[in-house]
Amino acid sequence: MTQLLSPTRGRRAGVRGRGGAATLLLAPFFLLFAAVIVAPVGYAVYLSLFTEHTSGLGFGGAQQVFSGLGNYTRVLGDSAFRDGFLITAGYCALYIPLMLGSSLGLALLIDSTLARARRFFQLALFLPHAVPGLVAALVWMYLYTPGISPVVSTLGSAGIHVDFLSSTYTLPSIVNIAVWEWTGYNLVIFYAALQAIPRELLEAATIDGASGARTAWSIKLPLIRPSLVMTTLFTVIGSLQLFTEPMILHGSSSSVISTWTPNMYAYSAAFDRNDYGLAAAASVLLALVAAALSFVVTRFGAARSSTPKRSGEATA
Amino acid sequence: MSHASAPAPIHVRARVGRKATAVACAVVSLALLSACGSSGSSSAKASSGTAAKPVNITFWGWARGTQQVVDAFNASHKDVHVTFEQIPSGNAGGYAKISNAVKAGNEPDVFNVEYQMLPSFVSQGAVQDLTSSVTDLKSKFSPAAVALTTLAGKNWAIPLDNDAQVFYYRKDLFTKYKIAVPTTWDQFRTAAQQLKKADPATRIATFFSDDPSTLEAMSWQAGAQWFGTTNDAWKVNLQDPATEKVSAYWQGLVKDDLVRVQTSFSQEWTASLQKGQTAGYVGAAWGAGAVKSALPDESGDWAVAPIPTWDGTPASGGLGGSTFVVGKDSKNLKADVEFSAWATTTAAGMKARISSGISSVFPADPALVPVAKQGFDTAFYGGQDIFSVFAAGAATIKPGWTWGPSMGVTNTAMKDSFSKLATGGSTIDQALQAGQSATLSDLKTRGVQVAK
Repeated sequence: MTQLLSPTRGRRAGVRGRGGAATLLLAPFFLLFAAVIVAPVGYAVYLSLFTEHTSGLGFGGAQQVFSGLGNYTRVLGDSAFRDGFLITAGYCALYIPLMLGSSLGLALLIDSTLARARRFFQLALFLPHAVPGLVAALVWMYLYTPGISPVVSTLGSAGIHVDFLSSTYTLPSIVNIAVWEWTGYNLVIFYAALQAIPRELLEAATIDGASGARTAWSIKLPLIRPSLVMTTLFTVIGSLQLFTEPMILHGSSSSVISTWTPNMYAYSAAFDRNDYGLAAAASVLLALVAAALSFVVTRFGAARSSTPKRSGEATA
Repeated sequence: MSHASAPAPIHVRARVGRKATAVACAVVSLALLSACGSSGSSSAKASSGTAAKPVNITFWGWARGTQQVVDAFNASHKDVHVTFEQIPSGNAGGYAKISNAVKAGNEPDVFNVEYQMLPSFVSQGAVQDLTSSVTDLKSKFSPAAVALTTLAGKNWAIPLDNDAQVFYYRKDLFTKYKIAVPTTWDQFRTAAQQLKKADPATRIATFFSDDPSTLEAMSWQAGAQWFGTTNDAWKVNLQDPATEKVSAYWQGLVKDDLVRVQTSFSQEWTASLQKGQTAGYVGAAWGAGAVKSALPDESGDWAVAPIPTWDGTPASGGLGGSTFVVGKDSKNLKADVEFSAWATTTAAGMKARISSGISSVFPADPALVPVAKQGFDTAFYGGQDIFSVFAAGAATIKPGWTWGPSMGVTNTAMKDSFSKLATGGSTIDQALQAGQSATLSDLKTRGVQVAK
């Protein structure tokens, strides 16, 4: 690649020298990448093209037969899989504005001149993110379970009877766990972006008589828009892969069904129903959707930093 | 969770933790399709060991008291050494772990499978045909247990327990409110109404929305035949008249708020039992150990009654029960069978399990019933002779029930359909319908013959 891009002999030699070092340094990455990403993805694609076939009563053992795109047709034709995407969409609609709204609001508050004990709040708000998702889900499940949860019993004694695990509240309950986990993380990103805003701009705004709120709305927000766009899109991709929290709730609440999200669908297909071909096809489709969204992310990223990149391309 | 040995319900956090671990493990493995867990079948190639060079076999299970059984076996055997790995109970991730190991080609030599899942594992080709190994052994087991482990004329598993349905209830509460212990399902409903009237916060039992096995046992008891085979083809009927009757009955109890709808062995269920808000449990013999270890503070308050009947004639379905199977790649068949037979048909094996204090399996080998009875401390049940109740129940288990070839599919579809049962958004009938159509579509995909 690098050689193709280099027009002259002299440069080619130089590039080759650097290329050797680069190859050496990049080799561990590509080895691992091939072993833990490329190979499994390849195997998943392979699996998705086969189905287990048996005959008679099915006790003669099963054999793998090539089924082409049969598994894909079955996945797409399964309303449970499509419903998983609908639930994910509902989750995104509730979760993304709520979580990004709170982390942005909190970041602006911490960044404002009014804030005290900034480091403390930054750390305190980030702490939930340091708790593994699995542990967080277990803790929250305890807080949601009627009969043992102090929260439910306190609400109950105040006359409010809520069953957080009933089918009505499943989605908000899971959104709540995710908000708790991710607000602090995104807050740190926003806060870093806010800190990078040149102070002269803010001073100028103050001198011009802009209020704190006005400064935040008209100066800070437009300047951190790139990080806002990035966090939104990363959050969408993360939401697509929603698994741990609903899976834990599935263990103690039947209102979270086995195919609640596309990821859970793949899990259930493989391990509840022993249909590995179907699971692989669902996984591949999910990966494609995630890849499409990732593409959008990189396009957005490229658009933001387009000017320096173009000039770089011109000289190459 | 109809396992012969649900993990101690009180430690639900532990159970969920294990489940979560299994989930995490399985997910990683789905991506990599390399196994998590043990290194699989043993390296020893010899089929029988010697004291100097024992055969090493691996064993995965979750039944209560299994660790004690393995310890006792290893202490008394020089030719075979068993390495035991405790896995989550089947429903809670254990089957996922086993299936995954099967797929990755490193399943253990021996593992536990419940009766209802045996046809699925046979159908996957995950277990070895034991027909020639159990020729002499099988005469030891009750005919019911042998029938459930015989598929297409071959023996596939060595049965551990044969558990009839029973009704566990809070004797103190029933006495306090002067409620007669129900012997028919009509009386059961009346008792539920009386109990709710006496204490509006208390219900008689729970409908488990995460596990259809109680509904299956109820249907079995009523004479239903969900699955059957004729001429090399499966008959699937989850909606026969007997099942319709059971479904309508439980739907009525749920609709009139006479039973709770909860997840089996969940924290919620345990808490509700601890607080006396649920005063009974429609379970099976193995549940005695589970209830006992879940509710240490209620010792002496509980009792066991035969399962209520439809027409006054004693009858029972089968609920749970485990078997020992040999993994398809195991090269130690002889040692595998030796260990499995020891665990299921010897007094020493049964004694080791029951004396763990947490297991109350009703042995599939009738000769071991006195051993189990002697080993289980019944102080929790006020000294009641509970094994006599289990024995009477086991004698009335209706013959002729067959489990389907993909119960994972059938049960998952039903469980998912139960999700809105508590809020009135779905019915038990709809769940049966969902189970029926999911099963048929799975059989069709796999090329299994279905009778018209």
